[in-house]
Amino acid sequence: MPGIAIGGRYAAPQVAGGVLIAACLVLFPLVASSYQLSTLIVSMVFLLPAIGLNLILGYTGMLSLAQMGFFGVGGYTSALIAMHFGTPFWLNFVAACLVPALLAAPLAIPALRLRHTSFVMCTIAFVFIIESVSKNWVGLTRGDMGLSSVPRPRIGLWSDGFIVHTTVQYYYLGLLLCALAVAALVAIVRSPAGRYMIAIREDEILAASVGGRTWHYRLAAFVLSAAFAGAGGSYYVHYVTVISPTVFDPSYTNTVLVVVLGGGVGTIAGPILGSVVFVALSEALRIAPELRMVVYGLVLTTSVFAFPKGLIAPLTSALRGAVQPKARGPHDR
Amino acid sequence: MTAETQAALSLRGVRKSFGPVIAVAGIDLDIAAGKICGLIGPNGSGKSTLFDCCTGLVRPTAGQVLAGTTDITGWEMARIAREERLLRSFQKAVVFRALTAEENLILAGQMTAFRSLAATFSLGPLAHRRVQALRARAGELLERVGLAHMRHSKAGEMSFGQQKLLQFASMLMPEPRTILLDEPFAGINPVLIERIVENIRAVNREQGVTFVIVEHNIDVLSDLSHRLVVLSRGSILADGNPEDVIRDPRVVEAYLAG
Amino acid sequence: MLQNLFTDGLVIGSVYALVSVGMTVILGVLGQINFAHGEYYMAGAFAAWWAIDRLGLSYMASIPLTILIVGILSLAIGYAVMQRLVDVSFDAGIIATLGVSLLLQNTATLIFGGTYQIFDGGWLEPMRVFGEDIAQQRVLIFLVTLVVFGALEWLVRKSTFGKQMRAVSQNVECCHVLGVDVRRVVLITFILGTTLAALSGVMTAPITINIYGAMGEAITLKSFAVIVMGGMGSIGGTLVAGWVLGIMESLVAAYVGLQFRDAVAFALLVMVLMWRPSGFFSTKARY
Ligand SMILES: Nc1ncnc2c1ncn2[C@@H]1O[C@H](COP(=O)(O)OP(=O)(O)OP(=O)(O)O)[C@@H](O)[C@H]1O
Ligand SMILES: [Mg+2]
Repeated sequence: MPGIAIGGRYAAPQVAGGVLIAACLVLFPLVASSYQLSTLIVSMVFLLPAIGLNLILGYTGMLSLAQMGFFGVGGYTSALIAMHFGTPFWLNFVAACLVPALLAAPLAIPALRLRHTSFVMCTIAFVFIIESVSKNWVGLTRGDMGLSSVPRPRIGLWSDGFIVHTTVQYYYLGLLLCALAVAALVAIVRSPAGRYMIAIREDEILAASVGGRTWHYRLAAFVLSAAFAGAGGSYYVHYVTVISPTVFDPSYTNTVLVVVLGGGVGTIAGPILGSVVFVALSEALRIAPELRMVVYGLVLTTSVFAFPKGLIAPLTSALRGAVQPKARGPHDR
Repeated sequence: MTAETQAALSLRGVRKSFGPVIAVAGIDLDIAAGKICGLIGPNGSGKSTLFDCCTGLVRPTAGQVLAGTTDITGWEMARIAREERLLRSFQKAVVFRALTAEENLILAGQMTAFRSLAATFSLGPLAHRRVQALRARAGELLERVGLAHMRHSKAGEMSFGQQKLLQFASMLMPEPRTILLDEPFAGINPVLIERIVENIRAVNREQGVTFVIVEHNIDVLSDLSHRLVVLSRGSILADGNPEDVIRDPRVVEAYLAG
Repeated sequence: MLQNLFTDGLVIGSVYALVSVGMTVILGVLGQINFAHGEYYMAGAFAAWWAIDRLGLSYMASIPLTILIVGILSLAIGYAVMQRLVDVSFDAGIIATLGVSLLLQNTATLIFGGTYQIFDGGWLEPMRVFGEDIAQQRVLIFLVTLVVFGALEWLVRKSTFGKQMRAVSQNVECCHVLGVDVRRVVLITFILGTTLAALSGVMTAPITINIYGAMGEAITLKSFAVIVMGGMGSIGGTLVAGWVLGIMESLVAAYVGLQFRDAVAFALLVMVLMWRPSGFFSTKARY
């Protein structure tokens, strides 16, 4: 795998590649049209929950399909706080990470008793339950009508500040949030806790036999993945300025899955690539939604047999071949 | 057992049944600290299940398990490993295949270096230094078992024998008190068996680590052990000096019938 | 009123059972959950709609044609996807079949349009059963379900193929040694399971009337609840579980509120999972 030598240092080509890509992304608005930028904004919206899915699936080995449920909770939280209290964006954002995480903790208690397919089904049920609440708690969420005229992000410490409104500004905001999320993911998976998580993915009983508190780390992965999803919800809701129970539509969950699996599960760069290829590109090509889902279906099915390591794997091996012909180094997957 | 030797592990009437199947049928056993105890028995005689009961993988249907003087019955596996330094190997699962040899060892050592849950999430300089210390220790242990050249190889790409060596090394990482080995010599060549045997002896002698070893290779085991216990259908059939035990007609019969 | 709800629930429950039992046998043999299962139900409804609406066939004639079309479809998918899932981890199986689900569902929407189609067929005249007026189609669904379940029990318990199914479900490695062609058994079981879903789709369409590309989604999710309640891999259990779900749904719709009807399956699913947290999916189901 390209990203992680746990606890060790990143190889120079990895750092160089990362810096290069980051520089391109930062400079991209200089050459891009606002439409192109908006496609990347959409991919960043999906990247945030995808990073959470990557943590729980790619590094802890638990397939959770509840990401878009927590994304929605984060979105609603962020919108409601901003609408009722006029709070600045950072506060909405923090709340949008915290509330799904706090919701995930009690949900995890029954869910973590389950394994394999039972766990997957339970996470699907969670999204359904969250959706039902959002539809029926009309006093808070306005039911099926949803919330509209959600305020745009206000960047400021407390009472005043600058309102994000142009596409370029939204782009940079997303870039900042995604950079933070990627940094957080790297920090988590490279910590000793991340090593335990990977151990759980490999073999849960063996992980417990080396002293890993498997329940706690599975809980941590579930809660943290919800926080990442909530972050995505916050960015999303202040961008589109509306939210309704349609965010819980399974097609969004499928999109997040495609981003992670098609890009490269269990790698840092994989989902980033996945979000650009599978979201921005299909937005840019203006593919009809159904056709896009057909393509996603093909990607999911073929990824299992043909490219289980995602698009990133051939890319990194090609790059590594170019940089250092006989590359050999510590990889975790 | 004499009064002055302390028991590293004591079983008091341990039973385990899976539905109608009685895997362990009420066993009383004291494992003397600092000794190597061999455990043999035909297939299905309950050896692995006994280990499972001792290490918290399964909860005994009845009876008590003590590590030293602490009653660990019903504890979780991870807690027994962390707090009592009672470690075990498995017959099938050997190492974390996706991790490198070095990472396998660091992982195994984390339980001593990071006591609290919160500490494991930290990436600060202190955590970094602790991991570096584990890394150094991992290097020494790999050297010791003769795997230094495979430090950065993925465990899954190593041969089965090398994986077993690595597994053995990883059990030495967290300063163990007692190690339970489930068939450490199965499926590996005589040269590697010899290497593991030497390491077991050395660790036992130098660090006073107690070993309980399940193994079908009776020649190697009786040579290595201070004491041999024979299990048959979940009960102790014979117990004592290796030389005496392997000549016991009941043991010979159990193996032939087994 | 209560009796009415009860018969209603029994009929809907039969539909659920008929779809779910296909998922059950596939799970039993393959050890994988088919996330695309509802899509074959949808495909059955659309194939029959196409035969009636476009080819001008009668409802009666559309049924065998539907089975044929979906059989060919699942032959292709069984060959391309399902046969490869024999020794693949459960999450890979979920992802692969989820992909198939997206593919089928959206292809149907692309072909037949994103809006509802009206299904015009079936025998909807009422008939008197135990002093109650029930549409003939509903009675037919119930009877067909009973026949299918009887036949399946026979197939699995008595036939040679059933023995092979049981062998594959218990131990794939042994089958290789014994000369049982695992891939063939998987393929045939998959076609059997999906055509049962298609049969269910064509039988139900006259009652639900509206058919659309995404109609299988809810059915897949309800099938999860049914097979979990039915005890995983048990054919008789699936039938009872289908009926329980159907009856509870119609009671909840009548006495609690229509919007809570679809929540029943999820509530039951979560409850059963909590009641027996382990053991359902950890090992392959047995017959
Ligand atoms: N999880 C389980 N469920 C049901 N029965 C079990 C389980 N684990 C073990 N058994 C049964 O308990 C008995 C003892 O098994 P165990 O694995 O402890 O034997 P063993 O002495 O380690 O054998 P081997 O030398 O083959 O490793 C066997 O009859 C086995 O079938
Ligand atoms: Mg054993």
